[in-house]
Amino acid sequence: MKKLLSFALALVLCLSAASWAFAADDMSEEANLVFYVMGDAPKDEAVVEEAINAVLKEKFNATIDFQFSTWTDFNQKYNNTLISAGADLIYVANWENYGLNATSGAFLELDELLDTYGAELKELCGEGNLNMCRVNGDLYCIPALWPEYVSLGIKYREDLRAKYDLPYPTTLENIEAYLNGIKAADPSQGLLRPTNTESASSLIIGFDTAYLLADKYAWVAPFGMPYGLAADYDTPADVYDYWFSDDFAEDCKLFKSWADQGFWSKSALSDTNDNEAYDNGLAVAEVAGMNPNKQISSANSFAKDHPDWESAYIAYGENTGVIYPGHATQNGTAILRSSKYPERCMMILNYIMTDEAMNCLVQYGIEGKHYELDADGFYHNLDDSFAYEGFNTWNLRVNEFKLKQPTDVALQAMFDKYAELGAQTKWPNINIWDGFTEDYTDYSAERAAVANVMRQYLAPLQAGLVSDVDAAVEEFRAKVTDAGLEACREGFQEQWADYCEEYNYQ
Amino acid sequence: MKIKDHSSRGFNAMKGVLLTILSLLCVLPFVVIVSGSFTSNIEIITNGFSLLPRGFTVEAYKTIFKTPEDILQAYKMNFYYTGIGTALGLVIITLTAYVISRKEFKYRNTVSFLIYFTTIFGGGMIPWYLMYANVLNLRGTTLAIWFPALVTPFLVILMRTFIVGAVPDAVVESAKIDGAGHWRIFWQIVLPVLGPGLATVGLFQALGYWNDWYRSSMFSTSSQTWSLQFYLYDLVNSTQAMRQMAQYANVNTSDLPTQSVKLAMSVVATGPILILYPFVQRYFVSGITVGAVKG
Repeated sequence: MKKLLSFALALVLCLSAASWAFAADDMSEEANLVFYVMGDAPKDEAVVEEAINAVLKEKFNATIDFQFSTWTDFNQKYNNTLISAGADLIYVANWENYGLNATSGAFLELDELLDTYGAELKELCGEGNLNMCRVNGDLYCIPALWPEYVSLGIKYREDLRAKYDLPYPTTLENIEAYLNGIKAADPSQGLLRPTNTESASSLIIGFDTAYLLADKYAWVAPFGMPYGLAADYDTPADVYDYWFSDDFAEDCKLFKSWADQGFWSKSALSDTNDNEAYDNGLAVAEVAGMNPNKQISSANSFAKDHPDWESAYIAYGENTGVIYPGHATQNGTAILRSSKYPERCMMILNYIMTDEAMNCLVQYGIEGKHYELDADGFYHNLDDSFAYEGFNTWNLRVNEFKLKQPTDVALQAMFDKYAELGAQTKWPNINIWDGFTEDYTDYSAERAAVANVMRQYLAPLQAGLVSDVDAAVEEFRAKVTDAGLEACREGFQEQWADYCEEYNYQ
Repeated sequence: MKIKDHSSRGFNAMKGVLLTILSLLCVLPFVVIVSGSFTSNIEIITNGFSLLPRGFTVEAYKTIFKTPEDILQAYKMNFYYTGIGTALGLVIITLTAYVISRKEFKYRNTVSFLIYFTTIFGGGMIPWYLMYANVLNLRGTTLAIWFPALVTPFLVILMRTFIVGAVPDAVVESAKIDGAGHWRIFWQIVLPVLGPGLATVGLFQALGYWNDWYRSSMFSTSSQTWSLQFYLYDLVNSTQAMRQMAQYANVNTSDLPTQSVKLAMSVVATGPILILYPFVQRYFVSGITVGAVKG
């Protein structure tokens, strides 16, 4: 499938590359650009676009039309847009396979364009940010310029912790004490609601509880690398084995003891994901897939529905000392190789990201109609036809221009704390792991088999729902080896070593 | 006589009980859906579903009908796609089926094979998409949403079987001897006995169009052209995606109702069909059964 996709891409791109290579951008020709972004269109799409285009038409003789992936089948549609040359500018992200798409030739190399038409933007980005966006040495996207921490952690009920005088859930021992304390004081209270939300699909863990590994190990990838490998943050190139280590068996025993103590349901393996359990008081902590933003959401929800409850957050990195911001490729903008007007695309991108008025217009709509600023300078929405960042253009965020919402104060406080911790690491505030994209085309069959074994054997282990841990660990190791683990590991390690060398993470 | 009476009464009673249970089994899930749609989301999460709504609220419907013009537009588009797709599709399918049912058509085997072939081998999603998006340039048009499904090979074959079964060769031959051309044979000999076939194929075609969301998803560039099913499906998906997206972006997710909204949506999507169904049901049933016996 991947191969077919890259082939189709290459074909389309060759055809279109031929057409633009000969046509230098003629500014007298009106360029109607399509900007492909994620999510649903705001109601006032046309109104805001008209305001944007009034300016762009005059300055660049160009217009942009935002087109939206919607949230249905968005991965498929995103790929369709690439192969059908359906856009000029496009949102990119590591979770939308930025690296793979760049190597397949979907995006245009931006270095020259940036020098010629985006000098201001280049300066604003800085070398460090741009370097993180390079794939095999070439720059394919302009990152968003808002440092954002999505550090994993535990979201818990501070009011209950204080009420029963329990320790802060920082380490695994303290989390256990926190949960046990609540259980002792109020046996009817639900504790955790881990679920099996296709954890195995990333080939790292089998069950959500394994996010807790990020609280124990100072790994470069928060809860481990794919195929049961691991490497410490300080020595990323030095990869070692986790699944076949004693640590792994130890951790599985810990999960079992937690399951036996009734921290989560016996049917956890088949439970469906319940995002709302915590906000409604059915669980007293969430340990998987959390981040500062989700803490803010819960805090807001408590303030509205349960004013006597208090939600707090401890990032696992606070315990392990490994903490870093989101990777530059988490939100970025690329120009499709098939675009007829790459110069105009770069000029406009440069303009949107360096001109405050234009940036605010794109992100927040028309001042006075869609939003207003209060006396303290906070953003307030006036009309939900165009919400905050209504075009979902997280890729066009610029720190200097970003309008603050009242909730951003608490968020910023968390970010500041993490930035300070992150500055003390060996790679100050550098996100190493998320810049890496694995290309598993060559061993996709083995990979699929390993994923199956993980679903069947690793998930119950990490959910603590086996009777004899040692036997189950042995069985898992045997099955996963048979499935072709070695081929996957070899392929992965080779690519990872290249990556570490390219960016000098030794 | 007495014994017979008793047994038939007993039989009737049993029949009544059994059928009541059976119909309850059919209706109850829908009752749960309707009741769930009037229950607050927190109630569903904490206590699960129930037959009667607890903590009655119309919050879910408010969310859906916050912008009634959107859902009305989606309904309108759905009627449009279903109407035009069924009508035009029926004409093309019937004419095609008639042609490949005629023995004197020299290439009928080749043509039948070409039609049949596509039911086994398809080009796959990407070539299909490229065909409509880049070659025919239909992305963003309403044409892209109803055109691709106009002719279904299976229905052509079904219709051909109908024609072969309903119109004996002798009848066509005698019409020909009397001087009738193909148009006359089709309109005056074949079409009049094709009622059940048309009903069956039309029903399949209409259901296919009514329930389609995929083409809207693939080819629409504006929510104005969305079919109803896609409008509702996307509403569900966005509530889900917004939560996941919170991992990557600072989006507010505290106000998204989920379970109750999904249920309310099912009610809104199926409601009109449910109301319409009793009135058209007899045509559907007779169309299918008559067709079954003859075919």
